[in-house]
Formats: sequence, structure tokens, C-alpha cells
Amino acid sequence: MMGLFIAEWRRMVVEAVRYPLDTVSGMVTLFMLFVGLFFGARYITQSPVGGGRLDTVVLGYAVWMLMMAATSDMGWQIQNEAQNGTLEQVMLVPWSSRLVFLVRGMMAIVAFLVPCAVIIAGLLAITHAHFVWTPLALVPMGLVLATAWGLGLLVASLGLLIKRVGQMMQIIQFLLLFVIIAPIAVLAGLGWHLVAMLVPLTAQVTLLRDLLNGVAVTRWVWLEAVVNFAVTMIAGLVLFGGADRLARRRGILGHY
Amino acid sequence: MTAGLVRPDAGDVRVGGVSLFARHDAVTAQLGAVLEGSRNLYWRLTVRENLEYWGAMRRLSMRGARRRADELLELVGLTDRARNTVQTLSRGMQQKVALCQALMHRPHVLLLDEPTLGLDLESGEGIKRVVRQLAQEGTAVLLTTHQLDVAQELSDRVAMIRKGRLVLEGATADVLARYSQPVLTVMAARPWPADVAVRLAGLPAVVTGADTLSVDLADDRGSTLYEVLERLNPHPLLKIERHQADLAQVFQEVMGEGLRDAAATPAAALSAVPVREGGMAP
Repeated sequence: MMGLFIAEWRRMVVEAVRYPLDTVSGMVTLFMLFVGLFFGARYITQSPVGGGRLDTVVLGYAVWMLMMAATSDMGWQIQNEAQNGTLEQVMLVPWSSRLVFLVRGMMAIVAFLVPCAVIIAGLLAITHAHFVWTPLALVPMGLVLATAWGLGLLVASLGLLIKRVGQMMQIIQFLLLFVIIAPIAVLAGLGWHLVAMLVPLTAQVTLLRDLLNGVAVTRWVWLEAVVNFAVTMIAGLVLFGGADRLARRRGILGHY
Repeated sequence: MTAGLVRPDAGDVRVGGVSLFARHDAVTAQLGAVLEGSRNLYWRLTVRENLEYWGAMRRLSMRGARRRADELLELVGLTDRARNTVQTLSRGMQQKVALCQALMHRPHVLLLDEPTLGLDLESGEGIKRVVRQLAQEGTAVLLTTHQLDVAQELSDRVAMIRKGRLVLEGATADVLARYSQPVLTVMAARPWPADVAVRLAGLPAVVTGADTLSVDLADDRGSTLYEVLERLNPHPLLKIERHQADLAQVFQEVMGEGLRDAAATPAAALSAVPVREGGMAP
């Protein structure tokens, strides 16, 4: 099992280091996107972005980048591997494909932590915002990443069946942005609580944001965050297994 | 399907008596596969990085993968290319590396899909040499190809599949013997004399060209050829050869039978599946 982790880690690092232009241009794109949004919004509205809570804005963007790394990486990997032809070889290794793609998703997040930290440092420098980090935030941060990981499996399931996930990834980017902005998890009423448990990441992002902002967190938000993670991860695992079986039954693993 | 990438509607694939679909991980650990085309390697990684990656993915330790990569690169003569990225290699070299990645975990069964297609002569011969060596060492090799000369050259057993159905299967030598005809072709060093047909009257020999004739040995009791030669004497001869079918002719025959069997069915593609039996458990 350890060999699987090491192999995937080495492959990702080698590809990132060997083609630094890809890695750096990805980081610059994410940085410039934030700069464009931030200064553009300030210019248009002529008022402070985020109601003056710059730390919340930067934090939201950082979480969005990590969620994107976890979810989109799985989809893009499957699309690229189907295109390059290595997907079939990956499905021939004596590990369950679910495990292989879970490890890949995890390694994608770990590999993105360093570029992400660099981007965040840049964002903090230009916005003059700062975080007050609390160790308690590690739990919701872990929940955010683990849920994004499960969401990545859901994307990968579709990738196995339809291969071309580019357009879908664009939509997911905006859905994830909506999830960060919408305060669904703190809305009152059983219906909203259920929505927060089922729409991936809504509760986890709220939990993380509130903890870092020093806002009192209700038990409902904690519960929603944990249930949401469990639902997303189980759905990801089940659907990926189903997509794998369906793709093999239809003989479309190698199609692109 | 034999690799488990496509699940059959019915039936099973068994390696050493174990079902591939029931125990996927255990059986794939016994399988190695080189898929058609350049679909087996990460082009941005070096040759060594690829082999170590695929070795680790097949449960080798990193040290074991490194050692095995060295052995295999030496086997295919690519030791000096270990540090090159795969995308900088020729098609033939890429195919050799793809073969190495399939052999990293010493599989009992090796599946090869068109391993020599599109390769230059030297690379193709290199791949064939390695395949022969693997078979001699006990690896069961299942090779699918439309290159019938490659199939004939490498296989101990051959099978042909049409529209998903097995239409021919047997030891290659037996199949070729079955489709060979008891006919000799006699070739002269210069055109036959005008009276050659008269000279051969009463014998099962027919002039087929200015300097060739064929002798039917269907009812031969051992003397037909000598009688023909006696009547041709002293005309100089170049060559006498017995008809020996090749797999291309067998393919055409089988295709013809298929068309006759199913007049309404359009011509279907055939693929020859030469099988070299080796160390696979019964």
C-alpha cells in the first residue's frame, strides 16, 4: 500500500518539477484571477470587498483553490489519461481502481499545498489581510479537503463514463464558488439543514469560516459538516465503483 | 476482455484456474499487457521513472522495481536510454519500454496487442526476439495481431476469431498442414519445350506457365515425381517445392468459408490470435 502512495507522489512531483512552466503558469493564473476579481470588484463598487473582512475573502479563495485541486484533478487526470492511453494500464494494476484514484486525489491535494501556500502568501501581501489561525480550524479544514476528495471521486466516476469532462469542470468551478459564498448551513429550518447536509461542502466551508472569524458555531453546523462529508464520500465511493463496472461492461474504458 | 478491461456478457477468463472477474486483483497480479499503440507509458517521465512507477503499482518494492528495471532495460538493449523521457524515444524504443513495463512483476501471462505494428524492421525483430525468449522461459504469451506473418513466425498455437466467434484454433503446424495441398510446383531454368504437354500425357501434371508446372500428389504412391522428372529429362530445372499454406492463405480460406456460411453477413474482420504456451498453470 505504501508503494502505491510513494509511486503516485513521485509521479506527480516529477511531472510538476520537470515542467515548471505548467506549474508556475497555473499558480500565476490563480493569483491573477483573484487580483482581477478583488480589484475589479473594488473599482466597480467603490467600496471595500467582503464588507471589510479581507481575511474571509482570501480564506474563501484559498479553500476554493484547494477544493478545485481535489475535484478537478481527478476529472482532468481521467480525461488526460484516456486521451494519452494510460488509463487502461492504470485499470490493469492489482489494486482496486477506487483505491488508486483515492490515492491520486489525496496526492493531488498534498502536491497542491505548497503552490497554494505561495499563492495565499501573495494574496495576503497585496490585500494586507492576515489570518488568526486556530488549531481547531484543522478539523473543518480536514473535512473540507476530505469532502472535496469524495467530490473528486464523483467527478472521476463521470470521467470514466464520458471521458470529456472539461465543460463539466467549468460548471463545477462555479458551483464550488457558490458553495463558498452561500450561507446555507446557517439558515434556520430543518429543510435548510438537510440541504446543507446534502450539497457538498456547504457546511464545511461555513464551519471553517466561522471558526476562523471567531463566530460561535452551532452544533447543527458541526453535524451538517460531518454528515455532508460522509454522504459525499460514500456517494463518491459507490458511484465510482458503479462507473468502473459499467465502463467495463460497455467496453468503453479505452474510448476517448 | 482477457485483461479484464471489458466484462463479457457471459463466460469467464481463468488464469491458473482462478476467475479474473471473481478475483480481479489476484489474477491481474499474474498478468502483464502491452496494449496497441503508444498507450502504455507516461510520456513526460523518463524510461526508468516509468518502469519504477509501474513496478510499484504492481506491488514491487522501490528497490525491487529499480533492480528489475535494470534487468529489463538490459534485456531490450535500452540501458543507455534510461534517463531519457519517453516522448524523446523512437516508436520502436517506446514499444520496448512498454514491453518492459508489462514484465516488471514477472507475469505468468503476457498479453500483447499488435506488438510489432508500425515498427521498423530492427525494432520488430528485437520485440520478436524478446517474445521468443519469454516463451522459452515459461511465460504464456497471448498475442493478437493482424500481421499474419508475425503470428506464423511466433506462435505454437493459433486461433482466428470472426465477429467474436472462434472459427479456427489449433497448433500452428497442424493448421498449416491442414490447409496445405498435396501439390508440387516444378520450375524450369528456361521455358518448357513445345511438346512438354505431350511428354507428360497420362501423368497428374499440368503446365501452369511458360516455365512452371504443377504435379498433383493426391494419389501418389511415391513414384509420381520420379516419373515426371524422367519425362522432363534433360530439360534444366531450377526448383521443386511442395505447396505449404501460410496463415494469410488460411485466413483467406476461413474468410471464404465464413462468407459462404453466411451469405447475408457482410465481410467481417478476422484477427489471428497466436498463442505460445508456457508456464501458465492448467
